[in-house]
This record gives sequence, structure tokens and C-alpha cells, in this order.
Amino acid sequence: MRRLALGIVFLVVLALGASGLGFGPIVLNPEGEQRIAFLLGDPVRVIQEPGLSLVPPFARIQVFDARWRQLSAEPREIPTLDQERIVIDYYVVWRIEDPLQFRRNFPTGLLEAEKQIDQQVRGQLREVVGQKQLMQVLKGERRAILEQIARESNAAVERFGVEVRDVRISRTELPRGTEENVYARMRAERNRLARKYRAEGEEQARVIRAEADRESQVIVAEARRDAEIERGKGDAEAARIYAEAYSTDAEFYAFVRGLEAYRKTLGKGTLLVLPPDHEFFRLFQSGGELPPVSAPGR
Amino acid sequence: MAADRVERSVGRTVRRIGIALLVLGGLAVWEALTGYYQLNAGEAAVILRLGRYERTEDREGPQLMLPFPIETRDVVHVGVSQRRDFGDVEATDAARLAETAMQTGDNNIVLVEFVVQYRVGNPFDRLYRVADSERLLAEASQAAMREVVGRYTIDGVIGERKGAVASEAAELLQELLDRYQAGIGVEAVELQEVQPPGPVREAFDDVLAASQDRNRAVNEAEGYANEVIPRARGEASERIAAAHGYRDAKIADATGEASRFLALAVEYQKAPAVTRRRLYLETMEVVLPEAQKVILEPGTALPYLPLPTGAAQGER
Repeated sequence: MRRLALGIVFLVVLALGASGLGFGPIVLNPEGEQRIAFLLGDPVRVIQEPGLSLVPPFARIQVFDARWRQLSAEPREIPTLDQERIVIDYYVVWRIEDPLQFRRNFPTGLLEAEKQIDQQVRGQLREVVGQKQLMQVLKGERRAILEQIARESNAAVERFGVEVRDVRISRTELPRGTEENVYARMRAERNRLARKYRAEGEEQARVIRAEADRESQVIVAEARRDAEIERGKGDAEAARIYAEAYSTDAEFYAFVRGLEAYRKTLGKGTLLVLPPDHEFFRLFQSGGELPPVSAPGR
Repeated sequence: MAADRVERSVGRTVRRIGIALLVLGGLAVWEALTGYYQLNAGEAAVILRLGRYERTEDREGPQLMLPFPIETRDVVHVGVSQRRDFGDVEATDAARLAETAMQTGDNNIVLVEFVVQYRVGNPFDRLYRVADSERLLAEASQAAMREVVGRYTIDGVIGERKGAVASEAAELLQELLDRYQAGIGVEAVELQEVQPPGPVREAFDDVLAASQDRNRAVNEAEGYANEVIPRARGEASERIAAAHGYRDAKIADATGEASRFLALAVEYQKAPAVTRRRLYLETMEVVLPEAQKVILEPGTALPYLPLPTGAAQGER
């Protein structure tokens, strides 16, 4: 009975200890946490592995976060090599690597740690950014610069028992007041572009119209030329036909054509002054005698 | 005496069995209370045994594990995609605007509204490697997007390179989250709205208008061309057709007159004098009646010749 009672008391003490109330002898350190066991003010055990551990009974346990933490800094104005002052908003990813060192440096805890880490990082930031030009920081060497800052910050905070995993710029801004300059420049550039487009449009339109005019002139001129050629062919062919036909009897043609000319030009309104011995009146003269017919026409 | 001893030993045994049953019963109740749980769809439970990672359960349904404090569990949503918005192009307050404005590679400022779609990829990391996954996601998203926007010009970000910006940002964000062991898987990054800042929006719109003006000027000119050239072609066709007509007519007339002459010439050859006479007289019959005739002996000079009024006026 007494053995049973003793056994139960022993188990209860064990359980109480392991329950994390903070005083051993069995310590349960879960994932993501780390612990230090103190005995009479002196650290006797640092536990970073997850699981159960044994510590001297009635040792005091202090818990520390083992996870990656995030430090969001206040945006700071940092000057670059080319005298540009940019406002950098950044964050730091860090964790407690050595809880003992950490506790020695930051007895009051995380807030103080963050302040100190931020200070170190800021110092690195100023130093590195101060050696570069604005565009290098923002674009050209952004990654390399950040990696350098992270690396050097990590080295600087190692003595705090802290590991810096990353330093990233989450935002950069130009200081208040310089924004207007940027906007003015942007506006000017846009205006230039707008002017350029409109000018291009006008020029292209002009070219198209001129080309159209030219082409239509060419078309008409060529048509005129071809028409003349065609007319010329007609005239030539007609002339050939006439000549071919009329030259079969040129004299007769002259005769017939002459008569036609009279038909066309003489007539109403023409005054003919004819002598009485005109060939036309020969029947008057002959008084009825038959005139010679075989004589060639006059 | 012996009977007493037997009684006491039996009683002790019964008591022991009773206590054992009590203990077992208690354990069973304890197990039911702390070791039995239900996993819904899209949930995962990370099991630690005595503080150390043991396994991850992700099958749906009732689950059993060793009781507290031997095993502990943490349940996380892994199945559901979550979304996080950043920025607001219409924002007027300084803070929100600061979240939205970004610097481009050609030193301009652009407003970007974007969404990150993600889910928990690694529940263990999410729970035990990183202190505040969501907050880290928010800041890393901003960092990634700004770095990527800084690689492009403002025209690129607003216009045709939007897709590249989004996919590069997603890639970079995932890289960062992996470095931080955040246990988050980025599914997509989308740019919802990309605008130039308010004070320069008018200038940007004007560029679009100018581009449209350029197109319009070209279209109008082409319209003019489409009118003028066909018209010229029409005129050309007309001229050529007229010329053809002229030519055909000329040839036809010539052919007609020629054959008329040839036919007459044939008849003439058969009786030249008679034909000549006839033709002559026929012509006179046409010409003379209309004309004013005066029959006069040549050599007799008249001081005055009364001319008919019609001839004087030159009527034909």
C-alpha cells in the first residue's frame, strides 16, 4: 500500500515536471522550441533537439522560440552614392541560434533583440547602399546588394546568438517631395511620346495620300498615252484602207472626191457667177444636138 | 487461521483486479478524450510524439493517435487555396497608396494591384519552422513583386509584359518562401490592375489618344487612296474604251467608204464617160438649186453688182 502510494507520488512529480510547468526533471521540448535549464542561476543544459530530456530536478526551465521570425523595420531614409535619398522599407528574417548567447545579450527578451538586430542591419544597409548609385540599388545589383547586406548582418549578429537568414527590401520610395519631380518627368516623357505618335500619323497620312495621287496620275497618264496610241492605230488603219482603195483608181477618186467637195461647200448662200459658155449650159448652145460623150470629164 | 489467510489473499487479488480495471478504464476514457479526433476534407494533422515529429495524417475521416501527453496534434488547412490582395489603384490614403506604388526599371512610378493565390504545402514547416507564416507571406509578396517590377519599363508592366511580371513574381516569391521554410506553396500571382499614378494619368491617356489619332490619320489617308485610285482607274478605262471606240469607228467608216468607192469604181470602169457625166450632173442638181446664180459674160465689168441679202449675210 505504501509502495503504491509512493509510486503514485513519484509519477505525479514526474508528470508535473514534464508538463512544462518549468522545473524538471523530465523536460519535453517540442518542435520549434528550445530550452535552457538553470540550476541556482547557472545554466546547466541547453536543449535544442525535440523530444524528452533529463535535467536535474527542480531546475528552472526557460523557453525560447527556435523558429524563423520576421522583423519589420521602420522605413528609413538612406542616401546613395549619387546623393539620392531613398526611403527603404525592409524586413529581416532571423532566429535564435544559440539561446544561451541570446539570453546573455538580451536578458529582457525579443523586443530588445529586434532593436539590436535592426540596428546592425541598418548599419550594413547604410554602408553598402552608400557605396552604390540609386539605379544599382533598385535594379542592377539589387539581389547582390541584398545578399551582401544579409551576409554581413549575419556575421555581425553572430555574437548575439542569432542567425540572419535574409534581408529584403519590401518597398522603396523617394522621399516626400521628390515624387513631384518624378511625375513631372513622367508627364514630359508621355507628352513627347504623344507628340511623336501624332507626328508619325500625319507623316504616314501624307505619304499615303501623295502616293495615291502619284499613282492615280500615272494611271490616267498611261491611259491617255494608250488611248492616243489606239487612236493612232485607228487613224493609220483607216488611212491605209483609204489609200489602198483610192489608189486602185486615183483619177476617179480625185473626180468623185472633187464632186463631193462641191456638194459640201457650195449650196445655200453661195453666189455663183457663171459664164454662159459654161459646160453645164452647153445644151442651151447646142440647141438640141447631141453633145460628144466620149470626151474625158473636165 | 488458514481460512482467514485465504480470505485476505483473495480479497487482495480482487482489490488488485479492481484497481487494474479502474486504471484501464481511466486510460480508455483518456484516450477517447485526447487521442480520438476527426479530420475533415482538406485538413492535415501534424503529430508530435513526445515533442518530436512523428508523422502527418492527411486522410479524411476518424483518426486515432496515442493520448496526450505522449502524442500531440496540430491541424492545418492544406486543401483550400487562399488569396491575399495587395494594393488598390483607387486608394487615396497614404498608407494604402504606399502599398500600391512601385518603381519601374526606367525610373517611373506605377500603381499595381495584385493577388497571391497560395496554399499550405508543408504543414510541418508552416507550424514549427516559421513563426508567422501569413505575415511573412505578405511582406515577401511585396518584396518579390517590387523586385520584378523593377526589371521592366512602365510600358512593359502596364502593357504587354504583364504576364511575365506575374509569373516572375510568383517564381521569386516561392524562392523566398522556401528559403524561409514557410511551408507555403504559391499557386499563382495575378496582376489585377496596373495604372499610372493619378497625377500623370491624363498624360498617359493622351498617349493612347495620340496612338488612336495616328491610326485614324492613316485610315483616313488610306480611305482617300481607296477613293482616288479606283476613280483614276475608272477614268483610265473610259479613255481607253473611247479610244477603242474611235479606232473601231474610224476603221469601220474607212472600210465602208472604201468599199463604196471600190464598188463605184468597178461600175465606172465599165462605162467611164457615162458614169462621170452622170455623177457630174447629179452633183450640179444638188448644188445649183440652193445657190444664188448669176449668169454673166466674163469681161463685162459691172460697176455694181446687187448681191442677194442672204449671200451678204453669209448664210450657208
